[in-house]
Formats: sequence, C-alpha cells, structure tokens
Amino acid sequence: MFEEFYTIAQSINNEYIAKVKEQGALCIGYTCSYFPEEILHALGIIPYRIKGLNVSSLSIADAAFGPFICSHPKCLLQHFALGDYSFLDGIIVTPGCDSMRRIDECIRKTAVNLDLPVVPPFFFHYAVPHKITEYSVKWLVEELHRFIDSVSAHFGLSFSYDKLKESIAFYNRLRKRLEELNALRIHYPARIAGADAVAVYVAGLSMPRDRFYGMMESLLSEYTGTALEDRKRLMLIGSANDDIDFIKTVEGETAVVVADTLCYGPRLEVDYVDEEDEPLHALALRYLNHSHCPRMYGGYKQRLAKVVEAIRIAQVEGVVLQNIRFCDLHGAENGLIERDLEKLGIPCLRLEREYGPLADNERMRMRIDAFLERLEVRRLVCERP
Amino acid sequence: MIVAGCDIGSLTTKVVLFDGKKIIASSIIKSKPKPEDGAYEALQQACAIATVNQDNIVYCVGTGYGRKRVPFANNTISEISCHTKGAFYLYPNVRTIIDIGGQDCKVISLNTQGEVDRFVTNDKCAAGTGRFLEVMAKVLKIELQELSNMAKKGNEAITLASACTVWAQADVIKYLNEGISKENIALGVCKSMAKRVGVLVNQASIKRDVCITGGVAKNTAVVKELENLLGVTIVKITNVDPQLTGALGAALFAYQKAGG
Ligand code: SF4
Repeated sequence: MFEEFYTIAQSINNEYIAKVKEQGALCIGYTCSYFPEEILHALGIIPYRIKGLNVSSLSIADAAFGPFICSHPKCLLQHFALGDYSFLDGIIVTPGCDSMRRIDECIRKTAVNLDLPVVPPFFFHYAVPHKITEYSVKWLVEELHRFIDSVSAHFGLSFSYDKLKESIAFYNRLRKRLEELNALRIHYPARIAGADAVAVYVAGLSMPRDRFYGMMESLLSEYTGTALEDRKRLMLIGSANDDIDFIKTVEGETAVVVADTLCYGPRLEVDYVDEEDEPLHALALRYLNHSHCPRMYGGYKQRLAKVVEAIRIAQVEGVVLQNIRFCDLHGAENGLIERDLEKLGIPCLRLEREYGPLADNERMRMRIDAFLERLEVRRLVCERP
Repeated sequence: MIVAGCDIGSLTTKVVLFDGKKIIASSIIKSKPKPEDGAYEALQQACAIATVNQDNIVYCVGTGYGRKRVPFANNTISEISCHTKGAFYLYPNVRTIIDIGGQDCKVISLNTQGEVDRFVTNDKCAAGTGRFLEVMAKVLKIELQELSNMAKKGNEAITLASACTVWAQADVIKYLNEGISKENIALGVCKSMAKRVGVLVNQASIKRDVCITGGVAKNTAVVKELENLLGVTIVKITNVDPQLTGALGAALFAYQKAGG
C-alpha cells in the first residue's frame, strides 16, 4: 500500500517527475517549508522540496561549508555537486536558518571552484522575515511579487491571479487529505506507523502535486488501517528530517510516532490559506503564521502551547527532541521545550545526531530503548493500585 | 534458580551470575571483534568460577552496545536501565549515577523507587570516556591501571587546552618532550577527564547521593577530581567491581523476568 510512497520519498528523482518533464513541464526546487508552493503550482511548475538523502560522503560539501555546520544543507549541496539535481530547472533558497542560507553561496562557489554545471538556470534568494508584524506581512507580499516577476520573466510565463486562487483552493483540499492521514496516527491505537505517514508526506513534496492528490485519495479510500496496539506513543520534535529510516529507528518495534512538528511533515496542525482574502496577502499571512519553526522570533510560547495541545490530543506518552549537530535553532529550543514539558510531567528525550546515513544508529538506539523503558515503567506505575 | 546478565561494552564484556540472593560469580574480559565470541567466553569463565553448567542458567538478559548480539540472551534491556537497577541494588540511597564506560559516559537521575527519572549521555566524541584515558596512558607508555596512582604523585597538573582526544594527545606529547614529569601529566589528564564529565553532570540536575560506576570508577584520581569539581562526595561501590554494575542490573532483571 505504501511502497510507491516509500520509493518516491526515498529517492531524489522519480518517474513521475521524469514523465511530466518529458512533456515539457518545469520543476523548481526549494529549501524551506516557508516557501509557498501555490505560486509555482499556479504557474504550472512542479515544486520540489529538496532532500539530502542517501549521501555516502560529504567530500565536496565539507570543503565548501567547513566542519562546524549542520549536515543537512551539506547533504543537499553534495547532491547538487554530484549532479543528482540536474533535473531541476531552478532553485529557491530561503534563509530559514543560517546554515540553509549559506547553501546559496556554497552552490555557486562550488560551481566555480569545481567548474561543474551545478547551478540550475533559475536561482532565486527568497527572503522571509523572522517576525510576524503588519509590516513584515506587507514586506513578504512584496517579496512574493518580486518572485512572481522574476520567475515569470525568466521562463516567459504569464501569471494569473485566477489560477493562483485555484491553486490555493487545491492546496487547501490537499491539506484536508493530509489532515485525514494525520488523524489515523492520532487515533488510539494508532492506525498507521509514523514511518508510513512520513513516507507519504515526503513523497508528496517530491512529485507533481495533482498526481499526489490522486494517490492520497486512493490511499485514504482503500487503507483500512492497522491497529498498533501497546506501542508507546511518541511525539518527534526538532530539526528538519526527510529520512524515513530515522523515524523507523525511533519507532523500533515497540513505539509509534503519533505526532511531529518536523519540517517536511504537515506540522502539527494543517494551516489553511484564507480563500476569501486577497491571494498574496493570504499566502503571506499563512506562511508567516505557520510558526512551528524556531526561525520565527518571539513565537516560543505559541509553539510550546501547540506542542502541549498535540500531546493531549494524540495521547502522547513521551517526546523525543532531536537536533542535527550544529543546528542551533532547534538545539536551543529543544532545551527550553524539554525543561517546560518535564515540568508538566511529560517525559522527554533529547538527542543530538548527524543527519541521514551518517547517523550513529546504535548509540541512538540505546538511548531510545532506555527512554522507552522509562515510559514502560511509567505505565506500570500508573497501573499500580 | 541461577540467572545471568551479560553486558557487552565497546571495550569489555562482563557476565554476572546471580542466584536470587547474591552474585555467585562474575567475569570481565576484553570485548572481541565478534561480540558473540566475547559473550560465550565471559559466560564460560563465570560458569567455571561458580562450577555451574551453562544449561542451569534459567534466564539471561543482554545489555550494553552489543546487547542484541548476546546469543544466549532471552531478552535485552538498555544499559541505562541496567546500570540503574544494579546501582540501586548495591546502594539504595543513590539518586544520581555517573557511569563512565569505554566509549561513553552517562549521567542518570533516579527516583526513590530506583526508577530512571532522566538521563544524559555524551554526544560529541570520546572525550570524557574511558577511551580518553586509554589513549593518554598509551602516550605515557604506562598501563591504564597505573594512571591513577601516578596522578596522585603529581603536584602541578599540566593543562590540556583542547577537549578533543586527538589534540589532547598532541599536547601530552608536547609536555613529554618539554621534560614535564609523567606524574604531573597524569594529574592533568585526570583533571581534564573530570572536567569533561563534569560538564555532562551539570546538564543533569545533580541529586544526592551520587555514585560512580563503570570502568573509570576504579580510577580514584579522576573520582577525586570530580568530587572537587562538583562539590559532592561520590560514593564508591566497594562490595562489587563497579565495572559489573550493568551486568548485575541485567542479572537482576533476568531474575525478575524468570519469576524470581
Ligand atoms: S528548519 Fe525551519 S527554517 Fe530550516 S528548512 Fe526547516 S522549516 Fe525552514
């Protein structure tokens, strides 16, 4: 049932993209969940959330980035340098975090240093403010205009507000489907493994969205679910993760990830775009308010409140807070969340890890096992007369 | 009823045999390239000491990094839970355990029932683990066991500038070349080790009583430096080799699981 989603999620290119590209479609990659896909969709361009999977060496990326930086953007750069993203017609870089922002100059510098054709024809630095104010919303609307003008001029496309409205409505429908999938996780007992759900989300970011919508509809109508009884119910928080094997490591055979706040996922709640509002203003508002990422300043209390609410709704027994080494945003925020959740009596496990295949699975497994054993004891204590 | 706990660590493999009342035998050997071989050898040694047949062992729990590779284990439990179980059995007043093994260091805080409350482990590298001391002993051309006594004879500790084992090794070589005494270098090494472990201990809120387990617990110079640094008395487990705490905890779990 999920094989197709796994195949798409766990590879960089896929047949669905190849097929539409053969028919002349354009495909543009982006690096951050704060970029509104709706704009590309309205222009008939396939949005692609760039992944860093399956890198076996960071030889090129290490030289460009240096050693003291998160391994996620490094893996992305390594893929670019190896030509794995040559199917992309463009790339949009967003200053989500400083490490991710640096991919902008690192790709261009790698192209010059190694004389490689790694910079896609269209290259855009899409800036997103770090605060939500009336002024920053206005500013983001202007940035959206700048992006639309640039991409339309580059590819000779004409942009239409009616098309954008249709795309916004389409994405809202897609979010609804994702919400339905999420409900299977929240269900008690969970009716879908966290790894399967994440495979669906990641696949959805790597293929033509209309095709994905069809696949989601069939999945939701055919999938009867499985009852994952007796599993410890975990929530996963922290750095970006597109690696399904990592979710499998966390779940093992005795746990299930029933909620997460991870970038590449639908985040906790699926925020809809207001279809009544002026489209660019509505998009700016939705994406800035989509503040589960600590890149947004001053939003800690709201983020914590959403986590606490999700713990309640999904009946989470323990929270795993992970951050990729040198990811300061999540590293620092995880410390605060751990402090505040433990105060509320919610057991937490903090993990610092390397991204992707470079991860030290065995050491991680030991800590997760110990955490699950702690949760088991808690269950027994709750049952004690 | 005889049960066993087998702890396969990165440097040593330990087995404890337990009869419900006391430890009847134990063994500590160097871990083998194939963890299964080490587990068998350690078990054989312990069985020989206790003069029991392996077939008489009713239940075995495997723990440590190689826990999934203990061929005769009926169950596996993480070393965090096993160390906690073992330390609480040996010293029921313990509320914080500092466990320093060959390649990792953990700080566990436990409640009055002896259950794990929270734990932190070293994430970064070999600094603050037994491996650090092993590398330094090698550079000083002494046995690991000699390091502690040598440090106690030092009176002016050298400073190791870097937290990195590799850079610290280079520092030690530099001090040796400058003619600094091995005693003062050994003292500096133990102080530096304590400093690294201290950082981790401070991440977990320390509750009294504090005890230390794992191989490095035998290095009294490091323990003394750690006490000075943290301002607490660290309880030394003397009735059992502190390196056996994890295997003992595994044996205690085995006894419970076997219905004892
Ligand atoms: S971590 Fe935050 S800022 Fe960075 S890519 Fe993910 S959502 Fe964007």
